[in-house]
This record gives sequence, structure tokens and C-alpha cells, in this order.
Amino acid sequence: MNKHSKKICLTLVLLALILVSTGNSASQTIKPAYALVNCRIVPVAGPVIEKGTILVRNGLIEAVGSAGKVQVPEDAEVIKAEGLTAYPGLISAHTNLFLEPREQSQPPSPEELLRAYTQPAKPQEFPELLILEKLKTKKQIIESYQATGITTVVVAPNQGIFQGQSVVLNLNGEDLNQMVLKQPWALHINFTTERGVYPSSPMGTIAFLRQKFYDTQHYALHLQKYRSSPQFLKRPEYDPFLEALLPYVVEKKTVVFQCNNQEEIKRALRLIDEFKLNAVLTGCNEAWRVKDYLKAARTPLLVTLDFNPPDSSIYSRQGEEVKKKAESELYPANPANLAKEKINFSLTTFGLKESDFLKNIRAAIQAGLPFETALKTLTIEPARALGLEKQLGTLEPGKIANIILTKGELFGEKSKVVRVMVDGVFFEIKERTNEK
Amino acid sequence: MRNKLIKTLLISSLLIFLISSATSLQANGNLLIKKATILTVSGPAIPEADVLVIDGLIKQIGQNLSAPPGTRIIEASGKYLMPGIIDTHTHIALHGTNEGTDAVTPEVNMATVINADDTSIFTALTGGVTMVHTMHGSANVIGGQNVVLKLKWGKPSEELVVKEAFPTLKFALGENVKQSNRTLLPGRPQRYPATRMGANALIRRELNRAKDYLDEWDRYEKLKKSKNPPATLLPPRRDLRLETLADLLRGKLVARCHAYVATEMVEFLNLAKEFGFKIGAFEHAWEAYKIVDELKAAGVGLSVFIDSWAYKMEAAEGIAYNAAYCTNQGLLVSINSDSGERIRRLFNEAGKAVKYGITQDEAIKLITINAAKQLGVDHLVGSIEAGKQADLALFNNHPMSAYARCDMTIIEGEVYFDREKILKERQEAAAKKGGK
Repeated sequence: MNKHSKKICLTLVLLALILVSTGNSASQTIKPAYALVNCRIVPVAGPVIEKGTILVRNGLIEAVGSAGKVQVPEDAEVIKAEGLTAYPGLISAHTNLFLEPREQSQPPSPEELLRAYTQPAKPQEFPELLILEKLKTKKQIIESYQATGITTVVVAPNQGIFQGQSVVLNLNGEDLNQMVLKQPWALHINFTTERGVYPSSPMGTIAFLRQKFYDTQHYALHLQKYRSSPQFLKRPEYDPFLEALLPYVVEKKTVVFQCNNQEEIKRALRLIDEFKLNAVLTGCNEAWRVKDYLKAARTPLLVTLDFNPPDSSIYSRQGEEVKKKAESELYPANPANLAKEKINFSLTTFGLKESDFLKNIRAAIQAGLPFETALKTLTIEPARALGLEKQLGTLEPGKIANIILTKGELFGEKSKVVRVMVDGVFFEIKERTNEK
Repeated sequence: MRNKLIKTLLISSLLIFLISSATSLQANGNLLIKKATILTVSGPAIPEADVLVIDGLIKQIGQNLSAPPGTRIIEASGKYLMPGIIDTHTHIALHGTNEGTDAVTPEVNMATVINADDTSIFTALTGGVTMVHTMHGSANVIGGQNVVLKLKWGKPSEELVVKEAFPTLKFALGENVKQSNRTLLPGRPQRYPATRMGANALIRRELNRAKDYLDEWDRYEKLKKSKNPPATLLPPRRDLRLETLADLLRGKLVARCHAYVATEMVEFLNLAKEFGFKIGAFEHAWEAYKIVDELKAAGVGLSVFIDSWAYKMEAAEGIAYNAAYCTNQGLLVSINSDSGERIRRLFNEAGKAVKYGITQDEAIKLITINAAKQLGVDHLVGSIEAGKQADLALFNNHPMSAYARCDMTIIEGEVYFDREKILKERQEAAAKKGGK
């Protein structure tokens, strides 16, 4: 070993020491190991264990099994969980957590209109946006999510057509860097329009998307040619917009299309096919209406539990009464209908107030979605869609210790999430007094 | 009170209709319509005759026809059967109308934003309309690509598209594109063009750009096919806007031009001659009667209103004799609705032409075979002949009579509107509601 490499070794050891020590200081309040004993376990990966033990160490699941089969080590803090059921933490693969709500499509005031017309129009396009850099965590929001059993979320940007890139977070506290599971996860695209600038119409948006995808392909080809023979070829002009799209169009990283009605689902499928994108669809509360297309395409689906019929829908076009009826009878059956067709999907809380999550998942189950499917679509299915199925989605040794403990069966009328563990850290659920 | 009842009837009925339309009304494309007066359009009317439809096509027209067992039989004694009405200019069944942010937007395609949920489809069916040419609006000098649809209410949007029709591109001239009727806000720049000569110059500029674009691609293709193509050879950037215009120059697209006054129409004819593109028809064309010779020489038809002239300055010299006079002079004329409401009484609009100097037989052509010719589908629809698609409308009276009412609308042998059945369903729904 020469002097130089010795130096490197020393630095590495030092670095490792620093890392270990900071890790310790952050987890001082955490026991290195927990044993949840005597609880009912729904591992999702296998059959239900009526009376079992889950061992957690360093934020990971070490063992799961029936009471007699898992030895509780001496150093583990024993949590007696009689009468409680343990489930994997729930995953909502599309939220706008911590973001300001999207601008409502209210008609602009005269002053706004004047401003819009007198100031130079600027397209609100930002595929290069990393939403993680914009986030400020709020304890209250995290707690309200935990209370519903959701321990992992995708936070996606919510403005513009090329909205930017999302992040997967574990709701384990308030330190964003500790929360990150995948950064960035995907590029999010919405079939929306701009006010006063191109594209201002749905067909303009589609033309705009196609042109940008073609431009990215051309940019990539130009870059590639230039790199291999930089002489006698003019360099491509640097384009931050297309640079941001390169990983998604050329390297086929995940693109998420937000589909706000049945037609947008088919529009997204056509774009995915035309540009051979690796895509996921989100929104999709009219997915059942285009089930044959979805069956053929096999594109992963993130289906929202928001049952509000889209504005352009036939059910919104016949007055308030028909719309209300559709909202309470037809749209809640969307997940059940997809399950019946054996179409894989994940459920999300996209567009929902967290207080509506339980109400709506119950409505979906009431409308025919089997409980087991409901559970999968909030655990292992989203874990797969996010490419995190080795780390999340089931209670299995080696996975991240995201565990929820409930009284009564999850989603049941009288059930309650009583404790939540995220990354091996316990969070108490505060009693909500105003609950019925 | 009465209004409320009617409203409830409407609400309950449409919902029922959407669900039932795809199933109970349909007959697998087989029908036998008995003892109607057949307005063939291609020849003289046939009194008290039967029409046999097999697999969506007109199989036979004659007396006392028999059908295979199980075929739905429609007793039509005393009624009039005409070809399904074709509207050559409307904007229904779309999720957008204008990409109004730019005066040149040929890259946008209305086929990408079809909305099968638009209730105007049903409204149109109640007036015997079976096919529409649904278009980009007239905000831009060069608007978007249009699409021809069959009004198969309740079917997925893709199944509505008539692939055999001419692909068309919308142009517009005059007041709409120069935005003469807009209040100019202080500080807001006026969009180019603001004059009729500006519109003409803009088209010339864009078509010249499209020519250059074609040349650029030709040069590239030539180099690519040469013996030793240079290593640095890069294909030109694919530009959807110029590509569409290049398709127009190559004859793959047909221009449909919104125009009112005679001079601008003549100028547009000159442009078409200069650049060698095809014009499908002039839209509205209020002053066409002044330039019949020029139109005839160019072989360009008209898609016009019947009698709603003088609603803006450039329509001031419009005359209600326009359609009838131009027909008598040998031009190919169709009557359009340009509306989701007027579309249900296009037969009334055509009927008015009789007052202005053409026969009933000629008038009915304005909304059937003439329209089919303008859209390039006269080999499929537009008249009642053996071998053609069974797009039919059954009226209680001669459709050119002011007392006519459409009772049934059929597309490819499927009944998409049945007045009697709908009324019954409405009554039943109302009774059910009252009983609760």
C-alpha cells in the first residue's frame, strides 16, 4: 500500500466514524431494538399470524413470526401488543404534501387580467424543478397522515404541464434528508393549459408535449454525435429544459401522467406508445370507463380515492343531482371495477383532504373492493410502482420498519390506528376529540 | 313547477340513456325498416318501401323485404327515411376549440381531444345528425387539424373517428383572426395580423417556411442515401407546425377556410394556386354569390349558414339566397350548424333553402350527399343506396317540411336515438321518483 492510498483509507475510516456518531446522536431516543409481541400480524406477503412477534432493529425488520418461533433478544424493548393488529405502513404514491393548494380555476379579477395582458407572457414550465428543494415540513401535517396509517408518500409538484420531479418520503420526523427514500422519483406531467400563453388549449398541450419529446430526442442525437466527433459539427445550444427531459425520454426513467378524465387516460397511453416512455398514470378516477385500454396497455396505475366526477364528464353535465349521485355511487366503485378486471393498481390520496381518506377507502370497500386488495393497493402495489418493493410494502425481514398498529381491522368502521412506527421510530397517535 | 318536472325528466333520462344506449338499443347492425317513404337522395323518392340493413350496411331497398330471423323490425308506415344528416362545420364533442395564443397553430389536432361525453352528441342525434366535421375554431389564420366523427353516443372516442374522410386543416380570414371585435386593453400588444392583407402575408410567410422545411429534409434524405454520408450528418429538427403545413403542400391535407368577403376568398384561391394546395371548402362564405365563376373554376365548394346574415360587419353583404343561388350555379354547397344547438335542426335550415329557389330534393342534398362529397366520404354515406353504410334518420314528416320531427337516428344499423323509447324511459324514471 503506498502512502497515497493509506491516506485515503484513513479518511474513509474517519468519515465512517463521523457517520456512525451522527447516526447515533440522531437516534438517541430510539431503542436499537423493539419486539412487538402477542399481536395479530397481517404481513401482506403471507398468511395472517394470529399471535406473533415482530423484531425491529436499527429501523429495519429483523424477524416476523408466530409467538413461539421468534426469540426475543435481551436487548430489545418489549412492546406488549395484545389486542392490536400490525400492518405494513400505508403508502400514498401521489400527494402534494406540504405544498400550497393548486390555484383554483376561478375567473381572474379585472386587475389580474390586465396584469396578464400587459406583462410579457411567461410559460410556467419547469421539468427541471426538484420538488424536494421546495418543501418545508410541517409537524401537524405529518401527524395527520400518520393518524390514517400512511407512513410513506410521494410528493409531486402541482403546477404547469411539465410539473417537475417528485420525491418519495418516509414520514419519520421532520428532517427532510432523513425522510428521503428516492430522489428524484419521477417526472410529472399534467394535461393542463396555460393562461394567456401557449399552449392554452387541450390540443395545444398535446402538440406541445409531442414537440418537446421530439426536441429532446433530437437534442440527444445531436449531443451524441457531437461527443463522438466534435469537429465539423456545430455544438448543440445548451437547453436546460431539454436537459431535464433527457433522463426521461432517452434513459426511460419514470414519467407520471396525471389523467383527470377518461379521455386523458387514452391520450397519455398514445403518448407513451409514440415515445416509448416508461410511464405511470395517476389520477384516473374514471379508469373503469376505459378498462379495456388499460388492460391492453398494462401501464402501472395510481388511482386516486377522490370520487369527484371530472368537470367534462357526462355525470357532471346533467346538473348537481346527477353529479352527486355519481360521486356517491359510481366513482367509489372505480377501484372495485378495476380489481374485477384484474387490473393492477395502487390507491392514492391525490386531491383528497387527509380526513377523507378513511371515509373514501371505506366507500371503495363498500362498493365491492375486497379488503385484501384494498390493503395491497396501499402497500405492496405502490411499493412496486415506486421500485421500492424490496424495502417497503410488506412485513418481512430486511425491510424498512414501517408498521402500523390498529385496534380492530384496518379501515373498519370502529377501527383506529393507535401507534405508528416509521423507520423503526414510534409515533403516538394523538386522540382526536372531534371524531364521531 | 312544470319547469321543475321537465328538468327532473331530463336529468333522469340522460343518465339512463348513457347506460342503456350501448346495450338494449342495439341490434348488431341488422335492421328491417318497413313501409317508409325512402328519400334516397341519389334518385327519386320510393314510396312505401322497405330497407334491409345487414352488418351495418344497406343490403336491399324494395317492397315486402324479409329479414333473417331475429332481425329487429321497425314499422315506419307514414314516415320518411332519409340518409343520416352530415354537419360539415361544428365544434362539438371536443375538449377545446381554439388555441388562440398564436395566429399560426397547424400542429394542434382536434382528433387528439375528442370528448365522447359531450351531451351535444345526443342533442345532434335527436335531429337526425349522424356525422360531423368537428373543427378548430376561427381565432387563428392557420388553426388546427380537424376531425370527422360519427355520433356513436356511448362508444369510446376512437370508435367515432371516420378514418376514410379527408384530413383537413382549418384556415380563417377576416374579423376573427384580425381580432377586430376585441377590446384592446391598455399596454396589451395587438396580435399580428390586424388586417386582411396581414393575414394573407402571414399565410404566404408560413407556407414559404414550410417549403424551406421540405427542402431541408430532402437535402438530408439525399445526403443520407449518398455513398459516403458524412459522420456528422444530423437530421433536421422535426417541427410539428411546419410538418403539418408541408403535408398541406404535399396534398396530404385539404384546407378548409373560414372566410366572409369575396376579395379575401379570391386572394385565398390565388394562394392555393401559387402554392399548389387543395381547398376543401370555404366556410360561411357570405359573399360567395359574388364570385361564383372564380369558385367554379377552382372547383371549391361552400359550407354555409342558410339565413343568419348581418350579425357582424363582414356579414353585412350576406344574403339568404347565397346557398340556393350558388347551388343553382353548379357549386357544391352544404349547410352547417357551427353550433351544438342549431345542429339538432339542420333539416329546418336546409328546408329554408326551398324558399330561396331550389327544390326539396336539392335542399336535402345540402345536408347529406353534398356534405359527404366535401368530406370525401360520399362513397360510404350521404344517400340511401345498397352497399352504403346504414346511417339513417327517420322522420314523422318530410324532413324539408316545417312540421318535421326526427323520431329515430341510426348509425351503421345501430339505433342511437329512439324518441319513443326515450320518452317512455323518462316517464318511468319520473314515476319512480314520484313514488319514492
